[in-house]
Amino acid sequence: MEGISYQRFPKVKIRELKDDYAKFELRDTDASMANALRRVMISEVPTIAIDLVEIEVNSSVLNDEFIAHRLGLIPLTSERAMSMRFSRDCDACDGDGQCEFCSVEFHLRAKCISDQTLDVTSKDLYSSDHTVVPVDFTDNAGYDSTEPRGIIIVKLRRGQELRLRAIARKGIGKDHAKWSPAATVTFMYEPEIHINEDLMESLTLEEKLSFVESSPTKVFDIDPNTQQVVVVDPEAYTYDDEVLKKAEAMGKPGLVEIYAKEDSFIFTVESTGAIKASQLVLNAIEILKQKLDAVRLSEDTVEADDQFGELGAHMQGG
Amino acid sequence: MEHGSFTDNSVATFSLTDEDHTIANAVRFTLNQDPRVTFCGYSIPHPSEARVNIRVETTGDPAREVLKDACQNLMLMCRHVRCTFDKAVEDFKASNAVKAMKIDSQDSSGDDSEESE
Repeated sequence: MEGISYQRFPKVKIRELKDDYAKFELRDTDASMANALRRVMISEVPTIAIDLVEIEVNSSVLNDEFIAHRLGLIPLTSERAMSMRFSRDCDACDGDGQCEFCSVEFHLRAKCISDQTLDVTSKDLYSSDHTVVPVDFTDNAGYDSTEPRGIIIVKLRRGQELRLRAIARKGIGKDHAKWSPAATVTFMYEPEIHINEDLMESLTLEEKLSFVESSPTKVFDIDPNTQQVVVVDPEAYTYDDEVLKKAEAMGKPGLVEIYAKEDSFIFTVESTGAIKASQLVLNAIEILKQKLDAVRLSEDTVEADDQFGELGAHMQGG
Repeated sequence: MEHGSFTDNSVATFSLTDEDHTIANAVRFTLNQDPRVTFCGYSIPHPSEARVNIRVETTGDPAREVLKDACQNLMLMCRHVRCTFDKAVEDFKASNAVKAMKIDSQDSSGDDSEESE
């Protein structure tokens, strides 16, 4: 029958969800979709970061471009980023990209007047928009007994001063890593582990113990009641084949069979704090849809281009 | 940009600028799911240039339509994932809120290890 595609509809289940960390399962989809999601999360979800720095006074030990580089890497809360325009696309300003629609202005003034070293941190950056501020890294558990500090930009000695004005703009990770909202995004195939019980019966307790010990991560354990080897945490398996090699070394290949389920993925998303982890995933899906829209609606058919020469050469007899 | 033949529009190569593996691999997968497609693949002519060539050959339908349908299907999948994710987040928060209330009602003194959501 025409028109019926074998399209599957994926399922999502969340395991853990914190402000900056999310772990979830994605089922019934292909690796290409999972990878596309991962790549978009790292490089194409927009955030806001400092892009232009005007330094008035700098008598610190770090030179101007050093400080400007450090300022760019400070994560700023970027909830506004999806609805903001890129500076280059903004027609409200004259193209210098400093109007209120496409940018956020920061300023920093610090002068050390005491004999103690002054730490200039991200908390000293004052924003013109209270929704875009340097991310606050205070731990709820309060490991730091002192009051919460920000990211240290530079340290000043007595008499040294730093005064600057910075413009933050929207950008994507592809342009510069400072705009990437994801600290790390990983996905792994969900493993399926089968223990061959008959072969397992033929092992002594010491052999079973050594088998359990041979795995670098704790995947198996001995059940204290039944003295059997059981799977305690299948996802701790890192697809090293240590247990399989050990089984072969013991002369019992096929003791354990481990498959990776090809359509089941476990995502771990850690955000820098610029965007919440759950919001990051949603934004990534949104951006992926926008890219697909762009492809679908482009009616370009350029004839006789230079590229076609390379295209024809690249494809053999296409 | 489409490079095809004027007489036979069931085979074509589409050259997309400013794209990379992210969208190309996903579109290639969705094209493979379509039973009208006999061949589909993508290549990146040079890694320094942001250009992707997607080759589509079908059983008679215009390749351009098939590609558009594949993009549409992929968008539907994205929408579905988004809805499912939204729902999963709400369920998770609801179940966590219930757990937190249960813990609060059982414990007499405050727990230091209580994490916030």
